[in-house]
Amino acid sequence: MNSPAVTAEGTAPIITFQDASFAYNGTPALEALTFSIMPGEFLGIIGPNGSGKTTLLKALLGLIAPTAGRATIFDCTCHTLRCHHRAKIGYLPQRSQLDPRFPITVFETVLMGRYGALGLFHRPTAADRELAEAALHDVGLPELKDRPLGQLSGGQQQRVLIARALAQQPQVLLLDEPTTGVDAPTQTALLSLIRRLHQQRRLTVLFVTHDINVVSPVVDRLALLNRRLVAIGTPAEVLTKATLAAVYGEAVIVTSQGGGSYVIVADHHHD
Amino acid sequence: MTDLLTYGFMQRALAASVMIGTLCAVVGVFVVLRGLAFVGAGTAHSAFAGVTLGYLVGINPMAMALVFGLGTIWIVQALNERSRTAFDVSVGIFYAASMALAIVFIGLMRTYNSEVYGYLFGSILSVTPSELWTIGLLSAVALTCLALFFKEFHFIAFDQEMAAASGIPATRLFFLLLNLVGLTIVIALKAVGALLVFALLIIPAAAAYQLASRLWTMILWAVGVGLTSTIGGLLLSYAFDLPSGATITLLATALFFLAVLASPKR
Repeated sequence: MNSPAVTAEGTAPIITFQDASFAYNGTPALEALTFSIMPGEFLGIIGPNGSGKTTLLKALLGLIAPTAGRATIFDCTCHTLRCHHRAKIGYLPQRSQLDPRFPITVFETVLMGRYGALGLFHRPTAADRELAEAALHDVGLPELKDRPLGQLSGGQQQRVLIARALAQQPQVLLLDEPTTGVDAPTQTALLSLIRRLHQQRRLTVLFVTHDINVVSPVVDRLALLNRRLVAIGTPAEVLTKATLAAVYGEAVIVTSQGGGSYVIVADHHHD
Repeated sequence: MTDLLTYGFMQRALAASVMIGTLCAVVGVFVVLRGLAFVGAGTAHSAFAGVTLGYLVGINPMAMALVFGLGTIWIVQALNERSRTAFDVSVGIFYAASMALAIVFIGLMRTYNSEVYGYLFGSILSVTPSELWTIGLLSAVALTCLALFFKEFHFIAFDQEMAAASGIPATRLFFLLLNLVGLTIVIALKAVGALLVFALLIIPAAAAYQLASRLWTMILWAVGVGLTSTIGGLLLSYAFDLPSGATITLLATALFFLAVLASPKR
């Protein structure tokens, strides 16, 4: 796995981990990761709670430096990434309790996606506003533009934050549990939105989730983490009883459903 | 009441009220949104320790207040980076230690110095022309900085990690914001006092938070409440012969509760 597999298009990977280890608040979180991701790939990142999924995204964002090895994105070392490169990574953080009374409108939230590319001392231009408007259209919420963000439902807020990431005109989209904590119809809607964006814009998407069955039908590959990379490959390759049992225990059940696999694990903790 | 304005001390007090009321309200908006209230309180107390040392050794007390106030912020930030000490904890340590220092410094003074107590409780009616110039100049510096990084401060207050992830030098700008909070406190120290400056920083912004759903309207409400409190409090204190700092604080508090009652967000 040292040299990344070259795809049919013959392009170089957009993200690489070379024997990279990371610690979070002093405790090791991920050990000796080696794998790479190709441009335009849709990668699902799965694993139990505390397996290092969020740490992996934060490492790519350059928010934490590796304790050993190397992580690169766009051929640059992640933790020394310049701001204009960071602006090309769209990030949807794990749903946190947004202060419902924070003074900000939907449109202002989306427009913040432009701030990184704008740089200091520059005000948003008409072009930035157009990009923000277009992003709100993409997620299907143009009519809520002037509403205070706090008045929206959880699913709508998620879509606004995805629009914020899209307004950055990213090459890479990092999504941390985007479908957690929203109801089932919203989950389906969010998933088809992300899938459509991936297909239309050739975005490289990293989709972190503890819910294997949500992502397995839509991804190109799955990476299974448990403080290290346990397995990476197509859903069919990764979602086998033997592989999953090593992480989730022998109680794991894998069934076939309409050509795909359906997995039942005993890991029912929701963050 | 109009002949009041012919007094030089009253003119200076009103000018100081307008500048400090505006500055504290605008900076206070970011303090309230980013949850920095305790940092404000801690900085006020260490700035007061600086004032006492200034009087003890005969250095300009406002300069010493600036050194102590910003010094606290720099050390708190360093502790947070190096040893991951939580802001609340290290600010709390400085809060207590700087009060202890102030008491020691006052104890070392051989004579009773009423001016020192002016910095504790505020003495807006004794602001000198040169102090007024300092207040004006430093307020302009602080407000210019806020204007320059306005969009970034809004983003950092909203979600600092998201701001950092999307290519904003969030850590450095957050540190700048902390320094602006320290600077604001030092500017307001003489007029409203170390014990009450905190009120002017927090209360107008907290009242505005109840009323506004946009940042700009929140700032306008905060400035409105801030100026009503400082100017109104000053006139009330003169009319009824009450201590000015306390009157300003109590008026601001009353306005805050009015805002809570009127809040559309309840």
